[in-house]
Amino acid sequence: MSNLTAGKPKIVPITGAGACAQAMRQINPDVVAAFPITPSTQIVEDFSAFVANGQVDTEFVTVESEHSAMSACIGASAAGGRVMTATSSAGMAYMWELLYVAASMRQPVLMSLVNRALTGPINIHCDHSDSMGARDAGWIQLYSETNQEAYDNLVMAARIAEHPDVRLPLMVCQDGFIISHSIQTMQLEDDKAVKAFVGPHLPYHSILDTAKPVTWGALDLQDYYIEHKRGQEQGMRNALRVIQEVSDDFAKTFGRQYNLFEDYRLDDAEIVLVAINSVAGEIKEVIDELRTKGEKVGLLKIRSFRPFPYEQIGQALSNAKIITVLDRSASFGAHGPLFTEISTAVYNYASNRPLLMGHTFGLGGRELTLRHIEHVISESRICLDKGEVGNRQGMWLNVRGDKS
Amino acid sequence: MSTLKTWQELPHGGVILEAGSAAKYETGSWRTWKPITHREHCIHCLACWEYCPEDAIVLEDGQDPSGGTRKFVKEVNYFHCKGCGLCVRECPVNKEGKVQALGFVRDEV
Repeated sequence: MSNLTAGKPKIVPITGAGACAQAMRQINPDVVAAFPITPSTQIVEDFSAFVANGQVDTEFVTVESEHSAMSACIGASAAGGRVMTATSSAGMAYMWELLYVAASMRQPVLMSLVNRALTGPINIHCDHSDSMGARDAGWIQLYSETNQEAYDNLVMAARIAEHPDVRLPLMVCQDGFIISHSIQTMQLEDDKAVKAFVGPHLPYHSILDTAKPVTWGALDLQDYYIEHKRGQEQGMRNALRVIQEVSDDFAKTFGRQYNLFEDYRLDDAEIVLVAINSVAGEIKEVIDELRTKGEKVGLLKIRSFRPFPYEQIGQALSNAKIITVLDRSASFGAHGPLFTEISTAVYNYASNRPLLMGHTFGLGGRELTLRHIEHVISESRICLDKGEVGNRQGMWLNVRGDKS
Repeated sequence: MSTLKTWQELPHGGVILEAGSAAKYETGSWRTWKPITHREHCIHCLACWEYCPEDAIVLEDGQDPSGGTRKFVKEVNYFHCKGCGLCVRECPVNKEGKVQALGFVRDEV
Protein backbone atom coordinates (compact mmCIF):
# COMPACT_ATOMS: atom_id res chain seq x y z
CA MET A 1 0.00 0.00 0.00
CA SER A 2 1.25 3.46 -0.78
CA ASN A 3 0.07 6.99 -0.34
CA LEU A 4 -0.07 7.58 -4.10
CA THR A 5 -3.84 7.70 -4.14
CA ALA A 6 -4.12 9.84 -1.01
CA GLY A 7 -6.44 12.74 -1.67
CA LYS A 8 -6.98 15.74 0.52
CA PRO A 9 -8.15 14.94 4.03
CA LYS A 10 -10.82 17.09 5.64
CA ILE A 11 -10.89 18.51 9.13
CA VAL A 12 -14.43 17.89 10.34
CA PRO A 13 -16.37 18.35 13.57
CA ILE A 14 -17.96 14.98 14.21
CA THR A 15 -19.05 12.65 17.03
CA GLY A 16 -17.17 9.43 17.72
CA ALA A 17 -20.11 7.39 16.51
CA GLY A 18 -20.41 9.54 13.38
CA ALA A 19 -16.70 9.10 12.71
CA CYS A 20 -17.02 5.31 12.88
CA ALA A 21 -20.01 5.40 10.52
CA GLN A 22 -17.84 7.40 8.11
CA ALA A 23 -15.09 4.80 8.37
CA MET A 24 -17.66 2.10 7.58
CA ARG A 25 -18.87 4.08 4.57
CA GLN A 26 -15.31 4.37 3.28
CA ILE A 27 -14.60 0.68 3.89
CA ASN A 28 -17.86 -0.17 2.07
CA PRO A 29 -18.22 -3.67 3.58
CA ASP A 30 -20.12 -6.41 1.74
CA VAL A 31 -22.51 -7.03 4.62
CA VAL A 32 -23.54 -5.13 7.75
CA ALA A 33 -25.93 -6.81 10.18
CA ALA A 34 -26.76 -4.78 13.26
CA PHE A 35 -29.41 -4.04 15.82
CA PRO A 36 -29.33 -0.51 17.24
CA ILE A 37 -28.59 -0.05 20.93
CA THR A 38 -27.63 3.08 22.84
CA PRO A 39 -25.01 4.57 22.63
CA SER A 40 -23.89 2.82 19.42
CA THR A 41 -27.17 3.69 17.65
CA GLN A 42 -25.82 6.60 15.64
CA ILE A 43 -23.32 4.33 13.90
CA VAL A 44 -26.07 2.07 12.57
CA GLU A 45 -28.41 5.01 11.94
CA ASP A 46 -25.85 6.95 9.88
CA PHE A 47 -24.79 3.83 8.05
CA SER A 48 -28.35 2.87 7.11
CA ALA A 49 -28.68 6.35 5.58
CA PHE A 50 -25.54 5.67 3.48
CA VAL A 51 -27.17 2.43 2.32
CA ALA A 52 -30.46 4.19 1.50
CA ASN A 53 -28.63 6.98 -0.34
CA GLY A 54 -26.66 4.50 -2.41
CA GLN A 55 -23.33 5.74 -1.03
CA VAL A 56 -22.31 2.16 -0.26
CA ASP A 57 -23.27 -1.11 -1.91
CA THR A 58 -23.46 -3.00 1.34
CA GLU A 59 -26.12 -5.62 1.98
CA PHE A 60 -27.64 -4.19 5.15
CA VAL A 61 -29.42 -6.84 7.22
CA THR A 62 -31.91 -5.50 9.76
CA VAL A 63 -32.16 -8.28 12.31
CA GLU A 64 -34.44 -8.71 15.31
CA SER A 65 -31.68 -9.08 17.91
CA GLU A 66 -27.94 -8.90 18.46
CA HIS A 67 -27.78 -12.70 18.66
CA SER A 68 -29.05 -12.74 15.09
CA ALA A 69 -26.85 -9.82 14.10
CA MET A 70 -23.68 -11.68 15.01
CA SER A 71 -25.03 -14.93 13.52
CA ALA A 72 -25.67 -13.12 10.24
CA CYS A 73 -22.19 -11.59 10.38
CA ILE A 74 -20.56 -15.00 10.87
CA GLY A 75 -22.56 -16.54 8.03
CA ALA A 76 -21.80 -13.65 5.69
CA SER A 77 -18.13 -13.80 6.61
CA ALA A 78 -17.97 -17.56 6.00
CA ALA A 79 -19.64 -16.85 2.66
CA GLY A 80 -16.60 -14.73 1.82
CA GLY A 81 -17.72 -11.19 2.57
CA ARG A 82 -16.13 -8.35 4.49
CA VAL A 83 -18.53 -7.89 7.37
CA MET A 84 -19.09 -5.20 10.00
CA THR A 85 -21.41 -4.48 12.88
CA ALA A 86 -21.79 -2.09 15.80
CA THR A 87 -23.15 -2.56 19.29
CA SER A 88 -22.92 -1.70 23.00
CA SER A 89 -23.38 -3.21 26.45
CA ALA A 90 -26.32 -5.62 26.71
CA GLY A 91 -26.32 -5.82 22.92
CA MET A 92 -22.88 -7.37 22.90
CA ALA A 93 -23.78 -9.47 25.93
CA TYR A 94 -26.59 -10.91 23.83
CA MET A 95 -24.00 -11.79 21.16
CA TRP A 96 -21.89 -13.62 23.72
CA GLU A 97 -22.29 -17.15 22.39
CA LEU A 98 -21.60 -15.98 18.84
CA LEU A 99 -18.59 -13.87 19.79
CA TYR A 100 -16.84 -17.15 20.57
CA VAL A 101 -18.13 -18.76 17.37
CA ALA A 102 -16.82 -15.88 15.23
CA ALA A 103 -13.37 -16.15 16.82
CA SER A 104 -13.24 -19.95 16.76
CA MET A 105 -14.31 -20.06 13.11
CA ARG A 106 -11.59 -17.46 12.45
CA GLN A 107 -14.03 -15.10 10.75
CA PRO A 108 -12.58 -11.56 10.63
CA VAL A 109 -15.83 -9.82 11.56
CA LEU A 110 -15.29 -6.14 12.46
CA MET A 111 -17.18 -4.48 15.27
CA SER A 112 -17.42 -0.89 16.38
CA LEU A 113 -18.13 -1.26 20.08
CA VAL A 114 -19.30 1.75 22.05
CA ASN A 115 -18.50 0.93 25.67
CA ARG A 116 -21.46 1.09 28.02
CA ALA A 117 -22.21 -0.36 31.45
CA LEU A 118 -23.96 -3.70 31.67
CA THR A 119 -27.43 -3.71 33.16
CA GLY A 120 -28.13 -4.09 36.85
CA PRO A 121 -29.34 -1.42 37.62
CA ILE A 122 -30.17 -0.23 34.11
CA ASN A 123 -27.66 2.36 32.97
CA ILE A 124 -26.83 3.65 29.51
CA HIS A 125 -23.55 5.41 30.31
CA CYS A 126 -19.92 4.52 29.91
CA ASP A 127 -17.85 1.87 31.55
CA HIS A 128 -15.89 -1.05 30.17
CA SER A 129 -17.75 -3.97 31.69
CA ASP A 130 -19.04 -5.04 28.24
CA SER A 131 -15.72 -5.38 26.41
CA MET A 132 -13.78 -6.49 29.50
CA GLY A 133 -16.28 -9.27 30.04
CA ALA A 134 -15.70 -10.37 26.44
CA ARG A 135 -11.94 -10.31 26.72
CA ASP A 136 -11.61 -14.10 26.63
CA ALA A 137 -13.90 -14.54 23.62
CA GLY A 138 -10.99 -14.47 21.18
CA TRP A 139 -11.57 -11.05 19.63
CA ILE A 140 -8.79 -8.56 19.06
CA GLN A 141 -9.62 -5.46 21.12
CA LEU A 142 -8.31 -2.03 20.17
CA TYR A 143 -9.22 0.90 22.41
CA SER A 144 -9.58 4.54 21.40
CA GLU A 145 -9.09 7.71 23.44
CA THR A 146 -10.63 10.12 20.94
CA ASN A 147 -12.92 10.29 17.90
CA GLN A 148 -9.83 10.36 15.71
CA GLU A 149 -8.47 7.18 17.30
CA ALA A 150 -11.80 5.38 16.99
CA TYR A 151 -11.89 6.29 13.29
CA ASP A 152 -8.24 5.43 12.66
CA ASN A 153 -8.51 2.09 14.49
CA LEU A 154 -11.52 1.16 12.38
CA VAL A 155 -9.69 2.08 9.17
CA MET A 156 -6.83 -0.23 10.24
CA ALA A 157 -9.13 -2.98 11.51
CA ALA A 158 -9.79 -4.92 8.31
CA ARG A 159 -6.12 -5.33 7.42
CA ILE A 160 -5.29 -6.58 10.89
CA ALA A 161 -8.25 -8.94 11.24
CA GLU A 162 -8.04 -10.37 7.72
CA HIS A 163 -4.27 -10.87 7.68
CA PRO A 164 -3.61 -14.57 6.84
CA ASP A 165 -1.45 -14.94 9.97
CA VAL A 166 -4.22 -13.53 12.17
CA ARG A 167 -7.72 -14.12 10.72
CA LEU A 168 -9.63 -13.17 13.85
CA PRO A 169 -12.56 -10.88 14.59
CA LEU A 170 -11.71 -7.42 15.88
CA MET A 171 -13.58 -4.87 17.97
CA VAL A 172 -12.70 -1.20 18.11
CA CYS A 173 -13.81 0.24 21.45
CA GLN A 174 -14.65 3.84 22.31
CA ASP A 175 -16.30 5.35 25.39
CA GLY A 176 -20.08 5.66 25.26
CA PHE A 177 -21.39 9.26 25.14
CA ILE A 178 -18.04 10.73 26.25
CA ILE A 179 -16.64 9.95 22.80
CA SER A 180 -19.55 8.50 20.82
CA HIS A 181 -21.77 11.57 21.34
CA SER A 182 -19.22 14.35 21.77
CA ILE A 183 -18.26 16.42 18.76
CA GLN A 184 -14.52 16.77 18.30
CA THR A 185 -12.68 18.03 15.28
CA MET A 186 -10.72 15.32 13.57
CA GLN A 187 -9.10 14.49 10.28
CA LEU A 188 -11.35 12.53 7.95
CA GLU A 189 -9.18 10.95 5.27
CA ASP A 190 -10.02 10.93 1.60
CA ASP A 191 -12.39 8.13 0.51
CA LYS A 192 -10.06 6.79 -2.16
CA ALA A 193 -7.06 6.88 0.14
CA VAL A 194 -8.91 4.86 2.77
CA LYS A 195 -10.14 2.41 0.15
CA ALA A 196 -6.60 1.94 -1.17
CA PHE A 197 -5.23 1.51 2.35
CA VAL A 198 -7.83 -1.07 3.36
CA GLY A 199 -7.50 -3.03 0.11
CA PRO A 200 -9.65 -5.83 -1.25
CA HIS A 201 -11.10 -8.58 0.91
CA LEU A 202 -9.76 -12.04 0.12
CA PRO A 203 -12.27 -14.74 1.07
CA TYR A 204 -11.01 -17.82 2.89
CA HIS A 205 -12.78 -21.02 1.77
CA SER A 206 -16.08 -19.34 0.99
CA ILE A 207 -19.15 -21.52 1.51
CA LEU A 208 -20.53 -20.02 -1.71
CA ASP A 209 -17.68 -21.48 -3.76
CA THR A 210 -19.59 -24.49 -5.10
CA ALA A 211 -16.61 -25.66 -7.12
CA LYS A 212 -14.81 -26.38 -3.84
CA PRO A 213 -17.44 -27.37 -1.26
CA VAL A 214 -16.33 -27.07 2.37
CA THR A 215 -17.89 -27.55 5.79
CA TRP A 216 -17.81 -24.74 8.37
CA GLY A 217 -18.79 -25.20 11.99
CA ALA A 218 -18.38 -28.97 12.29
CA LEU A 219 -18.19 -30.88 15.57
CA ASP A 220 -14.83 -31.19 17.30
CA LEU A 221 -14.22 -33.72 20.06
CA GLN A 222 -11.35 -34.57 22.38
CA ASP A 223 -9.13 -35.51 19.45
CA TYR A 224 -9.10 -32.09 17.69
CA TYR A 225 -10.75 -29.31 19.72
CA ILE A 226 -7.61 -28.28 21.57
CA GLU A 227 -5.52 -28.26 18.36
CA HIS A 228 -7.99 -25.83 16.80
CA LYS A 229 -7.85 -23.67 19.94
CA ARG A 230 -4.06 -23.69 19.81
CA GLY A 231 -4.19 -22.42 16.24
CA GLN A 232 -6.58 -19.69 17.34
CA GLU A 233 -4.14 -18.66 20.07
CA GLN A 234 -1.39 -18.43 17.46
CA GLY A 235 -3.53 -15.99 15.47
CA MET A 236 -3.66 -13.76 18.56
CA ARG A 237 0.09 -14.02 19.14
CA ASN A 238 0.73 -13.12 15.49
CA ALA A 239 -1.67 -10.18 15.84
CA LEU A 240 0.85 -8.35 18.06
CA ARG A 241 3.22 -8.13 15.08
CA VAL A 242 0.51 -7.48 12.50
CA ILE A 243 -1.12 -4.66 14.51
CA GLN A 244 2.25 -2.90 14.63
CA GLU A 245 2.95 -3.49 10.92
CA VAL A 246 -0.43 -2.14 9.85
CA SER A 247 -0.07 0.79 12.26
CA ASP A 248 3.35 1.63 10.81
CA ASP A 249 1.92 1.55 7.30
CA PHE A 250 -0.97 3.72 8.47
CA ALA A 251 1.57 6.23 9.80
CA LYS A 252 3.37 6.25 6.44
CA THR A 253 0.08 6.76 4.59
CA PHE A 254 -1.80 9.14 6.86
CA GLY A 255 0.87 10.52 9.19
CA ARG A 256 -0.50 9.41 12.57
CA GLN A 257 1.65 6.86 14.39
CA TYR A 258 0.06 4.31 16.69
CA ASN A 259 1.67 1.52 18.66
CA LEU A 260 0.37 -1.31 20.84
CA PHE A 261 0.18 1.23 23.66
CA GLU A 262 0.98 4.91 24.07
CA ASP A 263 3.69 6.07 26.45
CA TYR A 264 3.09 9.62 27.57
CA ARG A 265 6.00 11.34 29.37
CA LEU A 266 7.03 7.91 30.59
CA ASP A 267 10.83 7.93 30.22
CA ASP A 268 11.79 9.39 33.60
CA ALA A 269 8.41 8.97 35.30
CA GLU A 270 8.47 7.63 38.86
CA ILE A 271 4.69 7.59 39.14
CA VAL A 272 2.94 5.96 36.21
CA LEU A 273 -0.79 5.82 35.65
CA VAL A 274 -2.19 3.13 33.38
CA ALA A 275 -5.57 3.66 31.77
CA ILE A 276 -7.75 2.86 28.79
CA ASN A 277 -9.83 5.06 26.50
CA SER A 278 -11.07 8.62 27.02
CA VAL A 279 -9.90 9.15 30.61
CA ALA A 280 -6.35 9.19 29.20
CA GLY A 281 -7.09 12.70 27.89
CA GLU A 282 -7.79 14.05 31.38
CA ILE A 283 -4.79 12.22 32.79
CA LYS A 284 -2.49 13.83 30.20
CA GLU A 285 -3.84 17.25 31.18
CA VAL A 286 -3.03 16.60 34.85
CA ILE A 287 0.39 15.17 34.00
CA ASP A 288 1.30 18.30 32.01
CA GLU A 289 0.24 20.46 34.94
CA LEU A 290 2.15 18.42 37.54
CA ARG A 291 5.23 18.21 35.33
CA THR A 292 5.50 22.01 35.48
CA LYS A 293 5.74 21.58 39.26
CA GLY A 294 8.49 18.98 38.89
CA GLU A 295 6.46 15.84 39.67
CA LYS A 296 7.83 12.96 37.61
CA VAL A 297 4.57 11.44 36.45
CA GLY A 298 3.62 9.69 33.22
CA LEU A 299 0.88 7.65 31.56
CA LEU A 300 0.75 4.34 29.79
CA LYS A 301 -2.41 4.14 27.69
CA ILE A 302 -3.50 0.75 26.43
CA ARG A 303 -4.45 0.46 22.76
CA SER A 304 -4.26 -3.30 22.24
CA PHE A 305 -5.82 -5.11 25.20
CA ARG A 306 -6.22 -8.37 23.25
CA PRO A 307 -3.62 -9.44 22.38
CA PHE A 308 -1.95 -7.96 25.46
CA PRO A 309 1.66 -6.91 24.83
CA TYR A 310 3.07 -8.12 28.16
CA GLU A 311 6.73 -7.98 27.23
CA GLN A 312 6.70 -4.52 25.67
CA ILE A 313 4.60 -3.07 28.50
CA GLY A 314 6.76 -4.69 31.17
CA GLN A 315 9.84 -3.15 29.57
CA ALA A 316 8.15 0.25 29.18
CA LEU A 317 7.34 0.22 32.90
CA SER A 318 10.86 -0.73 33.96
CA ASN A 319 11.74 2.75 35.24
CA ALA A 320 8.51 3.29 37.17
CA LYS A 321 8.60 3.29 40.97
CA ILE A 322 4.86 3.08 41.49
CA ILE A 323 2.26 2.07 38.94
CA THR A 324 -1.36 3.01 39.55
CA VAL A 325 -3.85 1.26 37.30
CA LEU A 326 -7.30 2.71 36.71
CA ASP A 327 -9.92 0.12 35.78
CA ARG A 328 -13.24 1.30 34.38
CA SER A 329 -14.85 -2.06 35.11
CA ALA A 330 -15.06 -4.29 38.15
CA SER A 331 -14.31 -7.97 38.47
CA PHE A 332 -16.22 -8.51 41.69
CA GLY A 333 -14.12 -10.14 44.36
CA ALA A 334 -10.96 -9.66 42.33
CA HIS A 335 -8.73 -6.88 41.07
CA GLY A 336 -9.73 -5.11 37.87
CA PRO A 337 -8.87 -6.81 34.55
CA LEU A 338 -6.35 -4.15 33.53
CA PHE A 339 -4.63 -4.29 36.93
CA THR A 340 -4.12 -8.05 36.74
CA GLU A 341 -2.63 -7.79 33.24
CA ILE A 342 -0.29 -4.97 34.26
CA SER A 343 0.80 -6.96 37.32
CA THR A 344 1.60 -9.93 35.08
CA ALA A 345 3.54 -7.76 32.64
CA VAL A 346 5.55 -6.08 35.39
CA TYR A 347 6.26 -9.26 37.35
CA ASN A 348 7.53 -11.11 34.29
CA TYR A 349 9.14 -8.44 32.14
CA ALA A 350 10.02 -5.30 34.11
CA SER A 351 13.62 -5.08 35.28
CA ASN A 352 12.64 -3.60 38.64
CA ARG A 353 9.91 -4.25 41.20
CA PRO A 354 7.70 -1.16 41.36
CA LEU A 355 4.79 -0.78 43.76
CA LEU A 356 1.50 -1.69 42.12
CA MET A 357 -1.84 -0.16 42.95
CA GLY A 358 -5.20 -0.66 41.28
CA HIS A 359 -8.36 1.43 41.54
CA THR A 360 -11.87 1.16 40.12
CA PHE A 361 -13.59 4.25 38.75
CA GLY A 362 -16.25 5.56 36.43
CA LEU A 363 -18.81 2.74 36.53
CA GLY A 364 -22.08 3.69 34.86
CA GLY A 365 -20.62 6.94 33.58
CA ARG A 366 -19.53 8.40 36.95
CA GLU A 367 -17.13 11.20 36.16
CA LEU A 368 -13.46 11.28 37.06
CA THR A 369 -12.45 14.92 37.19
CA LEU A 370 -9.00 16.46 36.98
CA ARG A 371 -9.17 16.90 40.76
CA HIS A 372 -9.74 13.16 41.25
CA ILE A 373 -6.77 12.34 39.04
CA GLU A 374 -4.57 14.79 40.96
CA HIS A 375 -5.72 13.03 44.12
CA VAL A 376 -4.80 9.60 42.70
CA ILE A 377 -1.35 10.88 41.83
CA SER A 378 -0.79 12.49 45.25
CA GLU A 379 -1.91 9.24 46.95
CA SER A 380 0.53 7.37 44.71
CA ARG A 381 3.26 9.77 45.85
CA ILE A 382 2.42 9.09 49.52
CA CYS A 383 2.61 5.32 48.91
CA LEU A 384 5.90 5.73 47.10
CA ASP A 385 7.40 7.78 49.94
CA LYS A 386 6.22 5.22 52.49
CA GLY A 387 7.42 2.35 50.30
CA GLU A 388 4.13 0.49 50.57
CA VAL A 389 0.64 0.59 49.14
CA GLY A 390 -1.08 -0.57 52.32
CA ASN A 391 -4.82 -0.01 52.61
CA ARG A 392 -4.91 2.26 49.57
CA GLN A 393 -5.01 -0.82 47.36
CA GLY A 394 -8.25 -1.41 45.49
CA MET A 395 -9.94 1.94 46.14
CA TRP A 396 -13.16 2.88 44.34
CA LEU A 397 -12.75 6.49 43.23
CA ASN A 398 -15.38 9.19 43.53
CA VAL A 399 -17.83 6.94 45.37
CA ARG A 400 -19.93 8.42 48.18
CA GLY A 401 -19.21 6.63 51.43
CA ASP A 402 -15.59 5.83 50.57
CA LYS A 403 -12.76 8.15 51.45
CA SER A 404 -10.87 8.60 48.22
CA MET B 1 -8.07 -44.05 12.10
CA SER B 2 -5.62 -41.98 10.10
CA THR B 3 -2.74 -40.18 11.81
CA LEU B 4 -3.95 -37.18 13.80
CA LYS B 5 -2.74 -33.80 12.60
CA THR B 6 -0.84 -31.16 14.57
CA TRP B 7 -2.37 -27.73 15.06
CA GLN B 8 -0.02 -26.28 12.44
CA GLU B 9 -1.35 -28.70 9.82
CA LEU B 10 -5.00 -27.77 10.33
CA PRO B 11 -6.77 -25.12 8.25
CA HIS B 12 -8.02 -22.11 10.23
CA GLY B 13 -11.31 -22.25 12.07
CA GLY B 14 -11.88 -25.99 11.79
CA VAL B 15 -13.04 -25.71 8.18
CA ILE B 16 -13.28 -29.12 6.51
CA LEU B 17 -11.93 -28.87 2.99
CA GLU B 18 -12.87 -32.32 1.72
CA ALA B 19 -16.49 -33.04 0.83
CA GLY B 20 -17.85 -36.31 2.19
CA SER B 21 -14.95 -36.82 4.58
CA ALA B 22 -17.33 -37.88 7.37
CA ALA B 23 -17.18 -41.38 5.80
CA LYS B 24 -13.62 -41.64 7.11
CA TYR B 25 -14.66 -41.05 10.69
CA GLU B 26 -15.10 -44.15 12.83
CA THR B 27 -18.38 -43.65 14.66
CA GLY B 28 -18.48 -47.42 15.27
CA SER B 29 -16.33 -46.96 18.37
CA TRP B 30 -19.28 -45.27 20.14
CA ARG B 31 -21.31 -48.51 20.08
CA THR B 32 -22.37 -50.53 23.15
CA TRP B 33 -25.08 -52.59 21.42
CA LYS B 34 -24.91 -53.83 17.84
CA PRO B 35 -27.43 -55.04 15.30
CA ILE B 36 -26.79 -58.40 13.65
CA THR B 37 -28.47 -59.62 10.49
CA HIS B 38 -30.35 -62.96 10.36
CA ARG B 39 -30.54 -63.27 6.61
CA GLU B 40 -32.67 -66.40 6.77
CA HIS B 41 -35.56 -64.25 8.11
CA CYS B 42 -34.86 -61.04 6.21
CA ILE B 43 -37.46 -60.03 3.61
CA HIS B 44 -35.10 -57.40 2.15
CA CYS B 45 -37.67 -54.62 2.36
CA LEU B 46 -34.76 -52.18 2.97
CA ALA B 47 -36.58 -50.36 5.80
CA CYS B 48 -33.40 -50.67 7.94
CA TRP B 49 -31.33 -49.13 5.13
CA GLU B 50 -33.79 -46.27 4.80
CA TYR B 51 -33.90 -45.49 8.54
CA CYS B 52 -30.19 -45.87 9.31
CA PRO B 53 -28.81 -42.37 10.15
CA GLU B 54 -25.23 -43.44 9.38
CA ASP B 55 -25.81 -45.27 6.08
CA ALA B 56 -24.33 -48.34 7.78
CA ILE B 57 -26.61 -50.96 6.18
CA VAL B 58 -24.66 -52.42 3.26
CA LEU B 59 -26.64 -53.60 0.25
CA GLU B 60 -25.80 -55.93 -2.61
CA ASP B 61 -27.36 -56.72 -5.98
CA GLY B 62 -29.39 -59.91 -6.15
CA GLN B 63 -31.99 -61.84 -8.11
CA ASP B 64 -35.64 -61.34 -7.36
CA PRO B 65 -37.82 -64.57 -7.54
CA SER B 66 -39.47 -63.12 -10.67
CA GLY B 67 -36.07 -62.86 -12.34
CA GLY B 68 -35.43 -59.11 -11.97
CA THR B 69 -32.36 -57.51 -10.37
CA ARG B 70 -32.80 -55.60 -7.14
CA LYS B 71 -30.97 -54.61 -3.94
CA PHE B 72 -30.72 -56.97 -1.00
CA VAL B 73 -29.49 -56.37 2.54
CA LYS B 74 -25.95 -57.72 2.83
CA GLU B 75 -24.53 -56.77 6.19
CA VAL B 76 -23.95 -54.00 8.74
CA ASN B 77 -20.92 -51.75 8.37
CA TYR B 78 -19.57 -51.73 11.92
CA PHE B 79 -17.07 -48.96 11.16
CA HIS B 80 -19.99 -46.53 10.98
CA CYS B 81 -22.77 -48.24 12.98
CA LYS B 82 -23.19 -46.35 16.28
CA GLY B 83 -25.55 -48.99 17.66
CA CYS B 84 -28.57 -46.71 17.90
CA GLY B 85 -30.93 -49.65 17.20
CA LEU B 86 -33.26 -47.77 14.83
CA CYS B 87 -32.95 -50.55 12.24
CA VAL B 88 -33.87 -53.18 14.83
CA ARG B 89 -36.92 -51.19 15.91
CA GLU B 90 -38.14 -50.42 12.40
CA CYS B 91 -37.70 -53.94 10.99
CA PRO B 92 -41.22 -55.21 10.00
CA VAL B 93 -40.18 -58.84 10.58
CA ASN B 94 -39.14 -57.96 14.14
CA LYS B 95 -42.41 -56.07 14.62
CA GLU B 96 -44.42 -59.22 13.86
CA GLY B 97 -42.65 -60.78 16.81
CA LYS B 98 -42.31 -64.39 15.57
CA VAL B 99 -38.70 -64.29 14.42
CA GLN B 100 -35.98 -61.64 14.22
CA ALA B 101 -34.41 -60.48 10.99
CA LEU B 102 -32.24 -58.06 12.95
CA GLY B 103 -31.00 -59.00 16.38
CA PHE B 104 -29.58 -56.53 18.89
CA VAL B 105 -26.79 -57.83 21.11
CA ARG B 106 -24.27 -56.42 23.57
CA ASP B 107 -21.13 -55.47 21.68
CA GLU B 108 -17.81 -56.88 22.89
CA VAL B 109 -15.50 -54.24 24.23
